[in-house]
Amino acid sequence: MRRIAHIDLDAFFVSVERALNPELSGKPVVVGGHLDARGVVSCASYEARAYGLRAGMPLTTAHRICPQAVFLRGSFDRYRDASVEFFGILADFVPDVEPLGLDEAYIDLTGFESLYGPARETASKIKSRIKDEIGITASAGIASSKVVAKVASSLSKPDGIIEVAPGAEREFLAPLPLTKLPCVGDKTERVLTAVGINTIGQLAEAPPSFLRQSFGAMAELLHRYANGIDERKVQGPSSPKSISRETTFARDTLDRRFLQATLRRLSEEVGAELRANGKRARCITLKLRYADFKSITRSQTLNEASEVDQAIFEVGRELMEKALSQRHKLVRLIGIRVSSLSQGKQLNMLDAKTERLECLNRAIDRIRSKYGFAAIESGQTLPLREGIDQQKC
Amino acid sequence: MRMSCLQENLSKGLAIVGRAVATRTTLPITNNVLLATDPSAGRARLKLAATNLEIAVSCWIEAEVEEEGAITIPARLLTDFVNSLSPPEKHLPSERIDLALSPKTRTLELKCARFEARISGHDVDEFPPIPHIGDGMMTKVETELLATAIRQVVFAAATEESRPVLTGVHAEFEDEKLTLAAADGFRLAVHTLPLAQPVAGKTAVIIPGRSLAELNRLLALPRKEGQEEAVEITINPQKSQVLFRLQDVEMVSQLIQGTFPNYSQLIPQSYVTKAVVDVSAFSMATRTASIFARDGSGIMRLVITPGEELSPGKITVSARAEEVGDNMGEIDAIVEGEATKVAFNSKYLMDVLTILEEEQVALETTSPSSPGVFRPIGTENYLYVVMPMFVQW
Repeated sequence: MRRIAHIDLDAFFVSVERALNPELSGKPVVVGGHLDARGVVSCASYEARAYGLRAGMPLTTAHRICPQAVFLRGSFDRYRDASVEFFGILADFVPDVEPLGLDEAYIDLTGFESLYGPARETASKIKSRIKDEIGITASAGIASSKVVAKVASSLSKPDGIIEVAPGAEREFLAPLPLTKLPCVGDKTERVLTAVGINTIGQLAEAPPSFLRQSFGAMAELLHRYANGIDERKVQGPSSPKSISRETTFARDTLDRRFLQATLRRLSEEVGAELRANGKRARCITLKLRYADFKSITRSQTLNEASEVDQAIFEVGRELMEKALSQRHKLVRLIGIRVSSLSQGKQLNMLDAKTERLECLNRAIDRIRSKYGFAAIESGQTLPLREGIDQQKC
Repeated sequence: MRMSCLQENLSKGLAIVGRAVATRTTLPITNNVLLATDPSAGRARLKLAATNLEIAVSCWIEAEVEEEGAITIPARLLTDFVNSLSPPEKHLPSERIDLALSPKTRTLELKCARFEARISGHDVDEFPPIPHIGDGMMTKVETELLATAIRQVVFAAATEESRPVLTGVHAEFEDEKLTLAAADGFRLAVHTLPLAQPVAGKTAVIIPGRSLAELNRLLALPRKEGQEEAVEITINPQKSQVLFRLQDVEMVSQLIQGTFPNYSQLIPQSYVTKAVVDVSAFSMATRTASIFARDGSGIMRLVITPGEELSPGKITVSARAEEVGDNMGEIDAIVEGEATKVAFNSKYLMDVLTILEEEQVALETTSPSSPGVFRPIGTENYLYVVMPMFVQW
């Protein structure tokens, strides 16, 4: 019987902020973007959740509901550092760690009992190391499968451990509301409650023919999960299939200089990640979302896979110009994605220019890794410094 | 114009010039084929000609001419009609086809047995002139030798147009030899062959790769008995056009203007490791690896191991597709020098291994990041330089 643990950091962004500033503890705290613009809640403390605040809620709404909360812009760098520490601790215990975002992971503890004692004790040790080293709390669920472990950890929040004994999975899930099951969202829940299925236990007993009719290919998965059956293995992160960056403007814009500067910056970020992964990309996709929320994507394939910021930007810029010439409307969001990733570089005997650009990019990467991203910037991104001076629409 | 010829001959002639008919063009008349009676050879012939402005192909067929004349006719329509008149059984004799032009309406009337058709044409003076090259540098090359040389070189020309000179094949005529070379930056192919008729001094031009590929199709046409086994090549004094004259067929191609890279300095003068292998074995190993290399941008890894007292030398050929699988093959090799590793794009190796006529080939390498050189054993007239892929081993 497998022993799988799901470890989830509690209110991650807020906890990191509290570890750095203990005065925040006990207060409702919200981490999100600009209050005045169209930021949303990224993370709310449990105190804030008590007021009904949820991740994804517009900040303006959150502020109306709970004006006494402390609103923080947050710093992604801090969360990333904490995340790296978190995964470092997990890696000290087991080789098989499957990350789910920055702040949660599955680990496979099967067979480690002889080394660390029962799974519950191991989870407890992991929790106390997280508490000691990062200063934040974590919750853990332990079960024979990923889906049950995840449900268990969500019930144990905050700072708890729930272990589901082998054979008791079905019994454990049965009384829980449908939405506790990872694959049940609002829509699925609505369909099920309409026919009187309100708990996971009822779902487990629903006739398969009904599920197939309503959910098609999803039916099998729903049925299995509801019965606590999940054969998925704990898998390390697979190499990325694509790399992308996008940004929503504080105000819709058509200022070419600003759009290009943004695109250039996003291209540099994508390029840096490509190089850090030792990959090259052949396919470049531009994404635009207009003010009316209509989104388009435009792609182009390169003759030769590239890792050069300038090449990614140039293609992106051409795609953008073409798209804007076809639909000249205010832009709300711009993004760039590279895919068809490959390793290995085809050397060229006649192309010294690309060679020079690659050396330049690597030099910039080294400078940025030592002195920060802003230490060296291209002229094309200067309009970003001038701020959001987008009145030249 | 009033004349007749065999349906079979007209059909063949149209097939020969058909490849030069423009397909996507802004000059609609280049969709037409020129038909003109031609008494210049002292006997009655019909000249067919077509041009896409890069190449022009003319061809002469036997005809009985009652009245001289010329017209241009939509090539596709005429070809389809004439081909539809082929005898239902292969062994049946071809019918005669009568062509009569009504100059006033510019309509060509065709009659063949009990079928007839009328096709509207355009005046000849609207048709782009088929270039005539009278003087300039003239020489001859044996048909078979030229065909082999083109086949061994033309695939290495670039297909994308970012550097137009690289889409061409560099042809250097000097004294008694012709050297053809093509390079797309990733590889270079050079073939030297004797001229059947020496030239004075040195003449170098860049012939579009597409034109030479087209010429090779013409060279492969079955030749009549007693026909001369040589192609006459003339380059005009301005070095802007080249004429290839075969029996009853002529092709004129524009030449690419510009400076071809000085490729002789790209050919390594020495090597650290030299491996001699069977072309067919290497070809098989490469084809097998290419199946797995497809997903990984074509990366194929070669590990070259010199023989020892009791074991022969070998090349291990491997490829892997991330998260899919991998393969490995081994071939015998006579290895001189040090053991080494080098990776190539499997397509670039496949290209050369399929055109070699010799049984064995030598692969010379210096380092994992310097070019590899293929030299067939038993001839000095060909070499292929290919840039490796830079990979993590």
